[in-house]
Amino acid sequence: MRLAKLSLPALVTAAMVAVAAPAHADPDADFANQLHGYGIYGPRDYNAWLGKITCERLHNGLDTTADKSAHFALINLPRDTTPGQSYQFVAAAIGTYCPDQVPVLTAAAARHQ
Amino acid sequence: MNPPRRPRARSVLRAGIAALSATVAISASPATAVADSTDDYPIPHRMIVTTCTAEQILAAARDFTPIYYERYMIDKHNKSPQVQQAAIDSAHYFYSLNPADRRAYSEQMVTNFADPMTAAWPNWAKIFFNNKGVAAKETDHCADYPPDDQSVWDWSPAR
Repeated sequence: MRLAKLSLPALVTAAMVAVAAPAHADPDADFANQLHGYGIYGPRDYNAWLGKITCERLHNGLDTTADKSAHFALINLPRDTTPGQSYQFVAAAIGTYCPDQVPVLTAAAARHQ
Repeated sequence: MNPPRRPRARSVLRAGIAALSATVAISASPATAVADSTDDYPIPHRMIVTTCTAEQILAAARDFTPIYYERYMIDKHNKSPQVQQAAIDSAHYFYSLNPADRRAYSEQMVTNFADPMTAAWPNWAKIFFNNKGVAAKETDHCADYPPDDQSVWDWSPAR
């Protein structure tokens, strides 16, 4: 994976920020806002589904690493999405929908250092 | 003295009826050549010709049209175990057929409203047949997956 220019520790921090963010009435809205910050747009409901399914795949063991999650996100986000954005998507999804999966991000960060 | 007008009116009317029936005949005749189904309806052509199994197609759907797959799984899990199993069996049956028989199945599918599977779960084959774009993504990638991984039927949807 081309991660040379991508700071995975920063992604972990991004996920932690999402976890620490004050509870909002609509996590999908928070998720969408976070994605906009990364230049990821598209239908809000679609992205929320995709984020939740990303978590689901981690939970049931289909995706065992953040790299696999990022690949899944990449093939289902718009064509011009960069690999970096796909990792940002995964970090935001974990932070918003499955904070218990943060270790997957830290493991990826350790592996790519 | 004016000539009687009725006979003329009658001949005009007769000509009009003749022209009208000719038009009806012309427009009706091509209809006999049109069947109930087309190359892509109700079953997309790609599904008629694919050599993938139902499991390979579902695995591709899980990865490449995940939201469609998720919705199908939610729908499936809302059915009784018997109906779910019948859907699995129906999918296995369909993909065991050769293209000609699948085509015949497709013709039969559009006309047989009394099919018990359809009656029990009208959308049982939605993930396979209902959307050409989804069918295209599934058939583009299905060959990359194992042919007999039954776990693709048992995806527990996210809450």
